[in-house]
Amino acid sequence: MNPNDLPPELSREATAEHFLAAIREASRGPLAAVVESIDRTGYYPRAELQQLGALGAMSAHLDAPAGRGDFGLAIRAMAEASQVCGATGFMMWCQAVLGLYMQASGNPALSGEALMALARGEALGGTAMSNPMKSYAQIETLLLKAKPVDGGFLVNGTLPWVSNLGPDHACGALAGVVDAEGKVVREVMFLLRCNAPGVELPECPSFSAMEGTGTYALRLKDHFIGAGEIMADPAKPFIGRIRSAFVMLQCGMALGVTQGAIDSIWAVEDQLGHVNQYLDDRPAALQAELDALTARVMKLAETPFNPSVEFFIDVLDARAHGAELSLRAAQSALLHQGARGYLMSSAVQRRVRESHFVAIVTPAIKHLRSEIARLSAEVLPA
Amino acid sequence: MSAVLAAVPPAVLVPYETYICEACGYVYDEAVGDADGGLAPGTRFADIPDNWACPLCGVTKADFTAYAAPSLAVLRARAPASAAVASARGGPEGVVIVGAGRAGWQTAEALRALDAELPITLVTTCAGDVYDKPLLSIAMARSLNPGSLVKESGQNAAARLGVRLLAQTQAVRICSDTRTLRTTRGNLRYDRLVLAHGARAAVPASLPPELCWRVNHLAAYQKLRAALGDVSQVGPRDVLIVGAGLIGSELANDLALGGHRITLLDTQPQPLARWQIEQAGAQLLEAWKALAIRFVGGVQVSSLEKVGPRYRVTTADGQRFVADQVIAAAGLATPSRLAQSAALAWDQGIAVDAATLRTSDERIHALGDCITVNGQASRYIEPIARQARAIAAVICGTASTPYEPRAATVRVKTTSHPMTLH
Repeated sequence: MNPNDLPPELSREATAEHFLAAIREASRGPLAAVVESIDRTGYYPRAELQQLGALGAMSAHLDAPAGRGDFGLAIRAMAEASQVCGATGFMMWCQAVLGLYMQASGNPALSGEALMALARGEALGGTAMSNPMKSYAQIETLLLKAKPVDGGFLVNGTLPWVSNLGPDHACGALAGVVDAEGKVVREVMFLLRCNAPGVELPECPSFSAMEGTGTYALRLKDHFIGAGEIMADPAKPFIGRIRSAFVMLQCGMALGVTQGAIDSIWAVEDQLGHVNQYLDDRPAALQAELDALTARVMKLAETPFNPSVEFFIDVLDARAHGAELSLRAAQSALLHQGARGYLMSSAVQRRVRESHFVAIVTPAIKHLRSEIARLSAEVLPA
Repeated sequence: MSAVLAAVPPAVLVPYETYICEACGYVYDEAVGDADGGLAPGTRFADIPDNWACPLCGVTKADFTAYAAPSLAVLRARAPASAAVASARGGPEGVVIVGAGRAGWQTAEALRALDAELPITLVTTCAGDVYDKPLLSIAMARSLNPGSLVKESGQNAAARLGVRLLAQTQAVRICSDTRTLRTTRGNLRYDRLVLAHGARAAVPASLPPELCWRVNHLAAYQKLRAALGDVSQVGPRDVLIVGAGLIGSELANDLALGGHRITLLDTQPQPLARWQIEQAGAQLLEAWKALAIRFVGGVQVSSLEKVGPRYRVTTADGQRFVADQVIAAAGLATPSRLAQSAALAWDQGIAVDAATLRTSDERIHALGDCITVNGQASRYIEPIARQARAIAAVICGTASTPYEPRAATVRVKTTSHPMTLH
């Protein structure tokens, strides 16, 4: 059937299903073939990510021409890959939010051809915003400092653990702009190219489930950023605009990891159902909860730039629910599979570690709850 | 003697110290060093080269600060008792109550009176302390210290009633499909849920919330009193109150009796305009002649700004008022977050069936300031105990008198001229 013959709504849905089917095929084919090396030997799946990128899997949320302007679709694409490989799902999120920053920056040097290359998966990159996000939630202090100089800033400092990086990658980063006394007076957000002068990528120690995610520390020494790199100055209003979208996109990981866990429960139901019936968190109940959460996330994804605090609280809570559900589903899958799920090579074993990541990556469950508490408190005079 | 001293490495004389990585929490212990990073045991932090990197996350020496880990005993003592967390899974379902005002505690009392074993959990954003809210309107006239208004601490009330109290906890969402209440301290399964979270003071759009007080609960009242200070020491303050309804008029009366100078604004020409037929406003203005209360009627506040240490309020007709503190008393609004998350029927508040106080979800009841019956809120003290008893009877399956809304008799606690209005 030609989608153009259908009414617009049906056509969009048919195109979306077609799009997701292609992502599913790439995930269950080439990506599934390397998932064990990603997990066990730290293989960085550049080719597989680029294939997903070429399909538009990491740019569906971006406005045309870079993407389809559909956050729900971007989240579902991320969930498809995460169902197979949580680490890849995480890298897709890294890439997706970098695209979000570049497009939202309105800087022609970033939102033009550079963004298109990223949207097509030709360029790869991530986000160094864990520390700034925690800084805005009053959990940490800013680690990067930017000193104003002629035509831009010199940035110094070191960030731990930034993912989807490599020598030819880039990421969105934020630094505190300091005055002559070294006091932070505002923040600036910028594109950081890993191969630029003054940028070093020290290796990190081994991670539990994220070995293949291209995760490095970022060390900056008098690294110059100018008009071609600036995403937002001041950065605070910019962060306020994109914060819901940033957190919302992460739900794709949680939805996919949870679905993968439920699938592996069903996989042993025929042989082990007679004993598994005694377990908590049976697959039908988990699936019902996942479906309800997915519907909730898809509803939120219709208005990713809703600026209200209440909306942001809803997004934070959906993200927390996703993390909690993926923990329970992965744990339950291990109990359902028993010894076969305890083999180091088992997807169930890997998924337990992936679900731990969903729960601890910024914003972790504890950060989400603490931020909801902070945002819910009645504002009174100091 | 000097020979012995020389044999001991001088560094040992100063105890070894520890330093923490601000980025990842790794602790550098001078006694241990960092073998992989080329630092021998005993290497002082000061002697570490600047290009050394945290072995866990790669940040440099500049991101470390001196750190002494407290003992386990200190850590245990520091964990606040109020920070209990929910453990939804495996715990008893029972009844979960949201809100620890009069409505929440009365419900707990009524349930416990009927069933000694029923698991009850009470979730509240405040400390859960028990107090009489009407006293906030007459505390100064009665010379009550704001700290003495607590009748029973939340912890003691919880212990007395056998209630699990989750204090300082925000209820975020009701998942009615799994009968779970999501909170900032974990998730609670419920068999029955009782919403007693009350209403919040409405803040008019022209008043930035960080610049004006709202007095709808004890903690806010205590903060306001602290900001006003003790009149006998710091002298009277200029207090501007926006809204001359029941709460605004009572507060104006009480703060004036407490020695402060009050300016009371309202859009209506007289205070207590709802009871104009009974001439409540006129009586009040007459009684207030002896007090430092200036009533300015028929004005609309257009802006509130901070000017130095004071505040400036401007009205739509161009009048300006300067005050040390500003209070908004512009009515109440029921927060809709929880009700919306469970798709509960809503009619200016959570719509409940009058007799059973049931919401549109048969497992969820509601009472107090957050409900409406036939679209009517009734935010008074009198109905709460009767509502709580009706809910407890339905939940425990005992016979009871169904709740019946009655026309409220309002006792205006303007102590200079108390009134009973209908």
